[in-house]
Amino acid sequence: MSRLLSKDFLSGVMFIAFGLVALYFGRNLQMGTTVRMGPGYVPHMLAYIMLALGGIIAVMALLTPGEQVETPKWKPITMVTVGIVCFALLFETAGLIPALVVLILIASLGGEEFKLTEVIMNMIVLSILCIVVFKLGLQMNISIIRGVW
Amino acid sequence: MDLLHNLTLGLGVALSFQNLLYALVGCMVGTLIGVLPGIGPVATIAMLLPITFHLPPTAALIMLAGIYYGAQYGGSTTSILVNLPGEASSVVTCLDGYQMARRGRAGAALSISAVGSFFAGTVGTIIIVIFAEPLTRMAQKFGPADYCSLMALGLVAAVVLASGSVLKAIAMVFLGLLFGLVGTDVNTGAQRFTFDIPELSDGIDFAPIAMGLFGIAEIVVNLEKHMTRSGAIKVTSLWPTREEIRRAWPAVLRGTTLGSILGVLPGGGPTLGAFSAYTLEKKISKRPGEFGKGAVEGVAAPEAANNAAAQTSFIPMLTLGIPSNAVMALMVGAMIIQGIQPGPEVMTKKPDLFWGMIASMWIGNAMLVIINLPMIGIWVKLLTVPYRFLAPAILLFCCIGAYSLQNSTFHVMQVAIFGVVGYIFVRLGCEGAPFLLGLVLGPQMEEYFRRAMLLSRGDPMVFIQRPISLGLLIATAVLLVLMALPSIKKAREEAFQEEG
Repeated sequence: MSRLLSKDFLSGVMFIAFGLVALYFGRNLQMGTTVRMGPGYVPHMLAYIMLALGGIIAVMALLTPGEQVETPKWKPITMVTVGIVCFALLFETAGLIPALVVLILIASLGGEEFKLTEVIMNMIVLSILCIVVFKLGLQMNISIIRGVW
Repeated sequence: MDLLHNLTLGLGVALSFQNLLYALVGCMVGTLIGVLPGIGPVATIAMLLPITFHLPPTAALIMLAGIYYGAQYGGSTTSILVNLPGEASSVVTCLDGYQMARRGRAGAALSISAVGSFFAGTVGTIIIVIFAEPLTRMAQKFGPADYCSLMALGLVAAVVLASGSVLKAIAMVFLGLLFGLVGTDVNTGAQRFTFDIPELSDGIDFAPIAMGLFGIAEIVVNLEKHMTRSGAIKVTSLWPTREEIRRAWPAVLRGTTLGSILGVLPGGGPTLGAFSAYTLEKKISKRPGEFGKGAVEGVAAPEAANNAAAQTSFIPMLTLGIPSNAVMALMVGAMIIQGIQPGPEVMTKKPDLFWGMIASMWIGNAMLVIINLPMIGIWVKLLTVPYRFLAPAILLFCCIGAYSLQNSTFHVMQVAIFGVVGYIFVRLGCEGAPFLLGLVLGPQMEEYFRRAMLLSRGDPMVFIQRPISLGLLIATAVLLVLMALPSIKKAREEAFQEEG
């Protein structure tokens, strides 16, 4: 059981998965001939190599003891990802400042310590910095708050 | 005469006000991130890629190069004063640098490392100038098959020198090549792996992937760790004693030589240079017992080596278009964003960019010595900024940068996706650098492969019949066989253990 959770075994599985995905979505691409290769030739070749390498890595991991995967801490990766997604959704619809406030708030929640006053200070400093650098400095075409500036 | 002419051309470009300014900005940013642990040059350059889109090509590359070698300087400062390596390449500097600082020789260690780095940087730049032209001329004789083999050699060598499992690193290279295929096939116009998303028909953009894999994943990993900071040691006099100078300069010379050689190798670079230089000094020293207790040579040699290697690692990228490490892969990405195809043509078609960038490296190195020594106090103060302020700020710049690539939030989403992918890679012990190299070289390699097969009428023997290609393939095979030998495997594992 423990060997199924080793870093090497799981990476082997990951490579096999990528190979299968490439084969599945590349199934309609023309292979062509070795002289005139179609768009599918190299993708198929790479997919099979991925499957073979993934298989070797996984099998070798089962035969030899390897390093275990550390139990991931879910909070930082979830908060950071959710923060970026929220930023992407808010940036064009609501503007830079709302997107920034949400991103900083969510990302700060992902850390170990959270002090609201510090986070608010951080938001203010970064808002000013972003306006100066991106809006005034680089003259980027972005709205600070949608409909206002 | 040609050399002199090229150098004057380069200096003319590099000394323009705009380019000087960007070199300065690059050096300052580089030093800053070098000082701050938890954010390295790869992540920073990845995050700044979109911004370079708004700059002229020469200025953009000068700034990015400045970040790279600036980080080498900055990293050593924190190694010496707080025993915290800002960069992987200055890990060894901690060993003796911090001990020197504890004995009250902090100033001497800092100035020796700065002057040694400057000397090494100068030598590195001269080496680039000397070797750039012959190498470029050689590369222009390459046919498609030769190029394909050269890229294979570059990729394999990068794998050999990456830490961790060789097999996994090779698989990462292929995964990178696979991701490089996404988009419209140039020869037939067929859509490959685009999932009917119009944004993907031009291929996956390089910058969001690099930002996600290196920037976001690095932030998340750092957020998981609890970071503690110790107080910095006060710097008194910057002057080394006569004895220290006498012991340091031969070490600087040896470090520079070793670093310059290791920097050129694919997969080499500052970190490898620094470690090897330290090991060499320890081996040949008459007083090996002093190492780890504050030996001057233990600071001088690795510091010179990492800077020399940082410079010479530009050689394969500038002349052949083959990046030798992750930072160089990002530089290739920056050139492609600017519409420049890296390779031997850059020197002939864009001499001002080529020589301007090289000249700016030397100017940048001089700037670093001048700005760094007096500003050490300020840099050390920056260390007290807690990571919980930095992490959201870095994230924010990533997001805005990704958006600004094409004014589309699709790229921001890509950053989020590749952040998760990068995190999985880290957790599974898969290196990001081979993936990035595969991704950068993928489209070109397929192109050369298909062209070579077309020219040879589908005969794969073409790769063996052309002497250049054959030589490169033999070198690749030798590398792979060497890796499989048990004794070398063991030595390699030990070397990387020391590093980790």
